[in-house]
Amino acid sequence: MDDIEESVKKFQKEMAAGTSSLVLLSVLARATEPMYGYQIAKLIEAGFHETGIIKQGALYPVLRSMESAGLLESEVEPSVSGPPRRYYRITDAGRAALGRWEEVWDQTRKFVETILTGGEGNG
Amino acid sequence: MASIEEYLEQLKKELRGADRAVVQDALSDAEEYLRTALASGAGEPALDDVIEAYGSPAEIADAYRENEALISRAHVMPVVEAAVPEPVPVPTPPDTRNVFLKFFGVFAELRTWGAFLYLLLAFGTGIAYFIWFWFGFGFSLGMLPLIIGVVIALLFLFSIRGIALMEGKLVEALLGVRMPRRPLFTRRDVGFWGKLKFLLTQRQTWTTMVYMNLQLVLGTAYFAIMVAFISVSAWLIGRPIAELVYDLPAFSTGNADFYTQYWAMPLVMIGGALLLTATMHLVRLLGKMHAGLAKVMLVSE
Repeated sequence: MDDIEESVKKFQKEMAAGTSSLVLLSVLARATEPMYGYQIAKLIEAGFHETGIIKQGALYPVLRSMESAGLLESEVEPSVSGPPRRYYRITDAGRAALGRWEEVWDQTRKFVETILTGGEGNG
Repeated sequence: MASIEEYLEQLKKELRGADRAVVQDALSDAEEYLRTALASGAGEPALDDVIEAYGSPAEIADAYRENEALISRAHVMPVVEAAVPEPVPVPTPPDTRNVFLKFFGVFAELRTWGAFLYLLLAFGTGIAYFIWFWFGFGFSLGMLPLIIGVVIALLFLFSIRGIALMEGKLVEALLGVRMPRRPLFTRRDVGFWGKLKFLLTQRQTWTTMVYMNLQLVLGTAYFAIMVAFISVSAWLIGRPIAELVYDLPAFSTGNADFYTQYWAMPLVMIGGALLLTATMHLVRLLGKMHAGLAKVMLVSE
């Protein structure tokens, strides 16, 4: 039983690692103004309800790596109460990447669904 | 866990051995989240719940480690590609060709020109940092007998951290060494004296002050070295034009002019080219050493 729980956790983590950059990029593509880490985390949580699938702290390094890849750009601004916040916005390169990523996601989703439903409809 | 400070302390422990700049980034990310969550949650959320949502220090440390591994791999890849010499179709002994290309390939590498630009800029930034440091230091010290002097001293200390961050960005952009990408967080709930005490007890504050003075010496030395080597190289390479076109002697004593022998002209020019290339290697080496120095002195532990 514990082994199964363990494998579920591991699987969840792998799924999160594979999809979090797509989710983050898509959230920022829809945002009308730059968002900071906590805001993004809360927005994702609200859409999910089930917390714990993606640890919110694990989103920050993903944002950072997408910034260094040029998909996002950011600015630090002081806040009235609390530490300075880093606001992220999507770049043109990020939008272009998102378009391609969505295609990949679509293909992957169709492929997995086909396999899970037993390869009906000629895949 | 009792407090945010305790969480950050544990996160720091978990990240032991990771790149210092990554540690600093991870700490300020965690601090931004935890403090914002505690301040904005409805009905005083418990710290433990906030941490549960954010992730434990061990989980977060793992996330940063994995990500940084990906990033540095992505950063290193093109550099590795550039370092591999293009295959040349002419069948020549491969050993000499590699050494030759490696030696002269220095001109084609972006990193060289980044270091070149940085070392030139260091002359200017060195002077600017030096002036700002002694102006701020003297002004703060002179005003200390007045109450306002303490405020000026605090502003001066903040300006030093700003300079550390800015210099770090310059170093990262031109010398290609990972430096902190965001300012270090200062607590807002500790009041004026708390902030002053925090700044004064930070190792980074003092090492940055040393760096600001050191930069003047190093910047001047870099500039002098570069100007000396490059002008000697240019002088050697320019011999044929100077002597044959403008009739300028290589050396003059009071009663005789000395010209280069015709047969020696190509050798002199080759010597100049070799010296120039060696200078660019020196530039890279200096850039690398300086980046190491900046990392030790400008990044807080």
